[in-house]
Amino acid sequence: MAMTLNPTRRQLLAMIGQVAGAAAMYQAMTSLGFAAESGYSGEPDLQGPRESRRVLILGAGIAGMAAAYEMRRAGYEVKILEYQDRHGGRCLTIRGGDRYTEMGGHEITCDFEGDGYLNPGPWRLPVHHRAVFDYCRKLGVRVHPFIIKNNRAYLHSPQAFGGQPQRIGNVEKDMRGHVSELLAKSLHQGALDDALTAEDRERLLEGLKEWGVLDSRYAYRASDDLGGVRGWDIRPGGGLMPDARPSQPVDLSALLQSGLWEQLFNFNSYTFEPPMFEPEGGMDAITDAFAREVSDVIQLNARVTRIAQSDDGVTVTYEDGGRGGTVREESADWCICTIPLSVLVQLDVDCSDAMRKAIAAVPYASAFKVALEFRRRFWEQDDNIMGGISYTDLPLVQIAYPNYGFLSDGPAVLQAAYDTATAGRSFTYSWSTMTPQERIDAALALGRQIHPQYDAEFMSGTSWVWHRVSWSLGCYGQWTEDLRDEHYKTLCEIDNRLVLAGEHCSHIPAWLEGSLLSALDAIKRLDQRENA
Amino acid sequence: MSKRFLHAVIALSLLVTGGQAQEPPAPAEPRPNAEEIDTLLSRFSDDPDRFTQTDGEALYRTTCQACHMEDGHGAEGAGAHPPLAGNPKLQSRHFLAGVILTGYHGMPRFGDKMSDEQVAAVTNYLRSHFGNDYSDRISADEVAALRPPEDMD
Repeated sequence: MAMTLNPTRRQLLAMIGQVAGAAAMYQAMTSLGFAAESGYSGEPDLQGPRESRRVLILGAGIAGMAAAYEMRRAGYEVKILEYQDRHGGRCLTIRGGDRYTEMGGHEITCDFEGDGYLNPGPWRLPVHHRAVFDYCRKLGVRVHPFIIKNNRAYLHSPQAFGGQPQRIGNVEKDMRGHVSELLAKSLHQGALDDALTAEDRERLLEGLKEWGVLDSRYAYRASDDLGGVRGWDIRPGGGLMPDARPSQPVDLSALLQSGLWEQLFNFNSYTFEPPMFEPEGGMDAITDAFAREVSDVIQLNARVTRIAQSDDGVTVTYEDGGRGGTVREESADWCICTIPLSVLVQLDVDCSDAMRKAIAAVPYASAFKVALEFRRRFWEQDDNIMGGISYTDLPLVQIAYPNYGFLSDGPAVLQAAYDTATAGRSFTYSWSTMTPQERIDAALALGRQIHPQYDAEFMSGTSWVWHRVSWSLGCYGQWTEDLRDEHYKTLCEIDNRLVLAGEHCSHIPAWLEGSLLSALDAIKRLDQRENA
Repeated sequence: MSKRFLHAVIALSLLVTGGQAQEPPAPAEPRPNAEEIDTLLSRFSDDPDRFTQTDGEALYRTTCQACHMEDGHGAEGAGAHPPLAGNPKLQSRHFLAGVILTGYHGMPRFGDKMSDEQVAAVTNYLRSHFGNDYSDRISADEVAALRPPEDMD
């Protein structure tokens, strides 16, 4: 920041600072908090109010419903106002027959004929997201494994290997083999003698032979041993079937040039460590389970327009029946607001200037998904891919195969395109500009390069673009380190009678766990304030 | 990504399906033709990290249009994506270019994905379309001067 600016420029920058809310806005957006450990320590231990206390909760997503569930158990009177005609917030599932009108007026249709579905928001659960798992256990949500890494699924680039997709396991084992060979070579040449004792050097060399499947001369070459690790061009059979032939490794240079090695890094992060899980039948099983507990306190179709507060209470103005509906008021002792900041910044809210700036500071990330239904599971039947995810350099970025209904006949649904702004790619913005039909056309045109069966087997498609969702105006709070330094604490602090909650008030943005932890922490602090 | 290769593959696959489609009577719902698909896919940038379109309209069609819509009128819901058509805030070319560079409220910034020339092109496009008729244009140099210090490496 130590720069000499001429006055004109300083004025301009000040102007931008004013409209953007903060200088931190300018900082490079990096993926933050996505590998954060969950700080869950069991269900909240609330004392409850000493006298009758009313809590008004804005938003019936997972944060709002969890807050209502726990506060009511502790003895608070709770009520939830929800803008939509449904509960669940960004945790939802689209099935055959569903219709949704996007901002801009386009209708998203879903005409899936089978039992496949699309989870437009959260769709997989890391095992260290302990709050989510604890509530699934308590509320009776059945989960099954989500195959995050399938060695049979593909890595693909239109420029690599003539556009032929490569098996994830092959790329991984070839990289391991080649790196082992190179390391063995260095060890033999004495290049690492400073770093290793002679004994450790020998142990490492022996280990590399097994680890990388090197031959007796420490070379990574096709062999029956490697066939047992990397697979076969002719698989071992029975009776008088042809003799087995091990598969051929790909050259190191070709692999490095292909860029497929970098796609492997998708599997490196702690967040995406196997095993992952998903609820049976769709992600909305989780929010439906919460709704079973609290639906009697949810008022749907209530569009909040103003949050007013005084020293002893809060009054929320809303339009009953949605925009233009009858104006009504609700008063309470406390307000827990889970409205996304992208919407909240446009409402009339009584709060400190610092909190107002924090609410205005956080951009909402772009994200989209396209799902396609096909007549048969050609990925299982033709390509031997049972669940998991293929990655590509094409703008569709990834194809996720269903981890349910294996081997069944009849239609099945692929999540045929998905990306978010977190990785910094531009594609998600471009997908978001397309009509629902254009998204399907693009997903088909791109996806058939990986699965040529698309053309013969396609039935129908559906999609979701988070920036065209009228109740979230984007997908998730796109924090940067600088934004967090400047605004995060203020955003999460209790402001008189008001506290915010949701994924945007967490270090695990975009994840259910972040929403839950934020809600649990907010109600714990409210309860302490109540009993102070 | 090699666009030419990608398009060749698409053209080829369309040729194959087209050939099949000619035998039975015309399908109920005609698929987009190769040219339409070509136009659609050209909305994706060649570089995953930056937008590669250069003219203002093409940049609008692949970024701003997501929220401000095909006609620049924006849309309303629980909150709104503001209209660009007839929006008095567009009077200042510096303000508009600044918003594109740095974002505004929930709107993400585009300064890291567009060059000064691209920001100028889309700013000038917005201020001369959708019923807007401002004659003063912003230059790439002016955009460069608006860039926050952190943006310049």
